[in-house]
Amino acid sequence: MLLAYILQAHPEALPLNPIARWEWVFPVVESIHICGFALLVGSIVILDFRLLGICLRGQPISRIAKELAPWIWAGLALQLTTGPYLFSGDPHEYVQIAAFRKKMLFFALALIFHFTVIRAATRPAADSAPLGWRRPAALVSLGLWFCVLLAGLWIGNL
Amino acid sequence: MSFMKFCQWLSETQFSHHLREAPYDFPVLIIIHIITIGLSGGMVVIGNLRVLGRALRSVPVSQVIEAFRPWKWIAFAILLVSGTLLAAADPIEYGTNIMFWISNALLLIVGVNAMVFRFGVYRRVAEWENAAEAPPAARRWAGVSLVLWIVLIFAGRAIAFF
Repeated sequence: MLLAYILQAHPEALPLNPIARWEWVFPVVESIHICGFALLVGSIVILDFRLLGICLRGQPISRIAKELAPWIWAGLALQLTTGPYLFSGDPHEYVQIAAFRKKMLFFALALIFHFTVIRAATRPAADSAPLGWRRPAALVSLGLWFCVLLAGLWIGNL
Repeated sequence: MSFMKFCQWLSETQFSHHLREAPYDFPVLIIIHIITIGLSGGMVVIGNLRVLGRALRSVPVSQVIEAFRPWKWIAFAILLVSGTLLAAADPIEYGTNIMFWISNALLLIVGVNAMVFRFGVYRRVAEWENAAEAPPAARRWAGVSLVLWIVLIFAGRAIAFF
């Protein structure tokens, strides 16, 4: 993020940024970004599927959430490093792309939703309770992350 | 008929033309392809990590694998269909692209690796899943699978780059 900010303030530094300088850097970093979202979103999908009651049904929800948490964090770490770095290659251009701004918005919403509503849905005290409101919550979570992926893919207009 | 002749023929069909030129078809296929990876990638990674003993440790290996299996098959079917259609949109371009062939080879190896695991050491999973650690063969396959998938993502992305 800091790098992107610096580059915005000092456009003459842009050509020195490896991602702008050598063609192959972008696809490599983007591939790591794809691995990152497979880990971040993929793990959250497992959790959401559990909340929907369609996967790992016999397992206590809070324990699944607890054991997936480190991998969700790992995925998030990958995205928060590769994402801004990809952005740093052309900051002025990206901020002007509507799909990029939408992606950032959905990303923020998805994260907030995850660390509030989904966190509440995975409390140990709720383990023996019926799924109830947690099912639509899981659908909202899935929907938000789907929008993040969709907006992200739309950025390059594929 | 040689392979290049086949690519030529395919690229001249109306079907291929349509995929190539219609404004939304190709992008929608890519979206389906990549979103499916995003949604099912977690199950592949977490499944392998479970065998390696690094994720979802409280759930027995067989339960993790069985729970993920139907979803992975659905994802794989979607990926296969969307991938084939994507390739059919521009057969000559892809047919001559080394990264396309490397990606397909990796996909094949991933599949073979998965079958070797499933019909090999996994058949005796009931014996080893309660031990502290999975047997070396199982851990080796899980590790190989993870590496192959990661390389496959890089290779798949590189298709557009070559």
